[in-house]
Amino acid sequence: MSAFADFLIVFTQPQLLLLVGLGTFAGVYVGAIPGLSVTMAVSILISFTFSWDVYPAISLMIGIYMGGVYGGSRTAILLNIPGAPSAIATALDGYPMAKRGEAGTAIGVTTVMSFIGGFVGIGVLALAAPLVSDFALKFQPRDYMLLAILGILLVGSLSQGSLVKGIFAGALGITIGAVGRDPLTFAERFTFDFQLLEGGISFIAVMIGMFGVSEALLQLHHVDKDAVRQKISRIVPSLSTVKKHLPLSLQTSTIGVTIGALPGTGGDIAALMAYDHAKRVTKNPSRPFGDGAMEGLVAPETANNAAVGGAFIPMMTLGIPGDAVTAIMIGALFIHGLNPGPMLMIDQPDMFWFIVGCLVLANFFMVFFGLTGIRLFTKIVEMPRSVLIPLILLLSIVGAYAVNNAITDVYWMLGFGIFGYFMRHYGYPLGPVILGVILSRLLDDNWRRAIISEREDLGRFFEGIFSSPLSLVLFISVILIFVSQTPVWGWAKARIFKSRKSA
Amino acid sequence: MKQIILGALSALALTATTAVAEYPEKEIQGIIQWGAGGSTDTVMRSVTPHAEAAFGGTVVMQNMTGAVGAIALNHVAGSTADGYTLLMGAENPMLYKVMGLGDKDYSEFVPISILARGTAVLVAHPDAPFNDYAEMIAYVQANPGEVKFGSTGPGGLPSVVNAMIGAVEGELDVTSVPYDGDGPALTGLQGGAIDVMPAVLGAAIEGIRAGNMKVLAIMDTEANAQLPDAPYVTQFNDGYSTYLPWGPFFGVFVPKGTPDDVIATLSDAYATGAQHPDFVQLMQDRGFSLMAISGDEADAFLTKWQQGTAWLLQDAGLTKASPEEFGIARPGE
Repeated sequence: MSAFADFLIVFTQPQLLLLVGLGTFAGVYVGAIPGLSVTMAVSILISFTFSWDVYPAISLMIGIYMGGVYGGSRTAILLNIPGAPSAIATALDGYPMAKRGEAGTAIGVTTVMSFIGGFVGIGVLALAAPLVSDFALKFQPRDYMLLAILGILLVGSLSQGSLVKGIFAGALGITIGAVGRDPLTFAERFTFDFQLLEGGISFIAVMIGMFGVSEALLQLHHVDKDAVRQKISRIVPSLSTVKKHLPLSLQTSTIGVTIGALPGTGGDIAALMAYDHAKRVTKNPSRPFGDGAMEGLVAPETANNAAVGGAFIPMMTLGIPGDAVTAIMIGALFIHGLNPGPMLMIDQPDMFWFIVGCLVLANFFMVFFGLTGIRLFTKIVEMPRSVLIPLILLLSIVGAYAVNNAITDVYWMLGFGIFGYFMRHYGYPLGPVILGVILSRLLDDNWRRAIISEREDLGRFFEGIFSSPLSLVLFISVILIFVSQTPVWGWAKARIFKSRKSA
Repeated sequence: MKQIILGALSALALTATTAVAEYPEKEIQGIIQWGAGGSTDTVMRSVTPHAEAAFGGTVVMQNMTGAVGAIALNHVAGSTADGYTLLMGAENPMLYKVMGLGDKDYSEFVPISILARGTAVLVAHPDAPFNDYAEMIAYVQANPGEVKFGSTGPGGLPSVVNAMIGAVEGELDVTSVPYDGDGPALTGLQGGAIDVMPAVLGAAIEGIRAGNMKVLAIMDTEANAQLPDAPYVTQFNDGYSTYLPWGPFFGVFVPKGTPDDVIATLSDAYATGAQHPDFVQLMQDRGFSLMAISGDEADAFLTKWQQGTAWLLQDAGLTKASPEEFGIARPGE
């Protein structure tokens, strides 16, 4: 019963209630601006809330986290510029909807689906946290590597049009991710003896450039064309729409919470994998994927919000961060005199239920702030392009600078922006580049860990894969998904069908 | 228009008068060498507000990561030596030169305060077939190459501990699996991806308390207050007393050439801040030994640390360049 009382603390104390609300509101807007990330906001808050009690400090941080993950979808839908890496997949179908004048509907669906995803994540955290964290710990380096390969196979779904161009873009992304001092051996890679390149290329700078600046440059082509009028008659999706997408949203939420709970992978990978999953299982999308399919919005948005609850699972049960934001929260708990670790749930169970309560409340605030203010937001896309384009450029520069307070990142961002513009011009998809950058480290580090652990013996490596059920399942999925993207699949299917007919 | 000019003039006048005012007259930047949520970050963000209260200044902290902290170090080294840019770092820069990671180290800086020192500990997966240090050495010698040690790259704490073990026990045939930090490596340890990890006590302590990992030996010459029952390594082999006590440390630095009165103000502030009960408690909980030293004492500590560690790595064949090249004398010479 005391668990329930701890859960209710945040609802009964007006000050905490207000802080969660304030945090969520700020989070939605911080998340919407590319480059201003939740991670940054939360780390600033650590110093800011230093002298506070632990409850108010955590309330504010959780509000920002929940709101921020959702907020990234705003600019992805309206401007084709994801506010955060976890909203990249949202832009793929969200922006086409805005171009049809359905931005209001898109934001409405996103909000409700984020809410559902958020709840699935919180539910799993509250009911099955120890179980999930045991499962997450089972992931060995080779499993992370297989997961990264699964991720790379998403290039197929992210490259609209030419697959070859998609593969090229993905490979480019992996290379960009490898630049700099290798974090495992500190050897320099692709640095050409420039000190500038030693720290690597900021992933956020690449993302802002590729999506933000290149979009602005592309829009210059139609600078004198009128903006699309947005119809905002219906914002809250009808019950039947929600019902129709419920099965898919539950599946993608599961993906989200699992990937979120794995230390080392977060909402960005979860959202992309969920998008790919939706593309596979949806037989008759409302519109083709990439043209504004509702399913293409549902999947990533449920997954990235479910990943929030997921990220708290290893944090609360083991003191291991599930992502960058929970890493900072662990630091905050230390500063406030708590000892996050496996004993936290036993020594201070109130903290666990308090955090669950905050998450639930933040999820409600998210819907509230998400559904109000849409009218104002859609006005952004209706602005004349001569105002909008400089604004995008300004935001991109501020965002790129804010990541590391480094002017170099701004140059990278501009460079990749111009490069991205030409890539788009020649029909190269940009999604796979970002996918490659995200997965580069995961793949590279874990492959090396896996093979070094087996004393660089490929035989022992495969023995390991075949003797572990988890690795085997991942390995078979990799093979199946790979084959399903080659002509062999169709050919084999036809053969099997034919032989059945004749039999 | 007139108002604007007037405004600009008064602003100019203001800056002119404050230029001779007492330090600090504006916000101070604190550059944290490591990422948000890490050990260095936690230490700096918890001591600085107490130091601020002590001298009445404002320190705005930001994380500047990359290249094992060299980016932050170079940034602060290149800033004006006026006390408005602080470097908040850990021990790593002391090894940049010998490891070929950079051409600058703390010799370009004046230590404001060496806040605390950590203790290394050897931990193992609870199911590992050995229960203490001696059993581990015996097991490794009986099963060459089979025991997986976590590591964090050249110059990191595990590489130094391994070099120490090598110097005392002779070369051990273990498989070193690289991780990008002790947090991820300890996660791998709990999942069974590695068997043994040399880690800083503060990072492992909660896992040890919960029984998710077991202590093989504390790399120190005496029992630790946080884990009084855990064995310490000189119990097994006295050869370690040559190198111990050793541990990573955290400190606040300013570039050389900073005015002496500014250094004095900052040193006093951090010395006071470090004695705040909250900070003392945090350091104790995380298994760090509070030092809060400055001036000659800090210089002597840094010199000794660098000599001992650099030569240890040099003798283990792990360095890119000999400490001699940089005038780092062999300890005792």
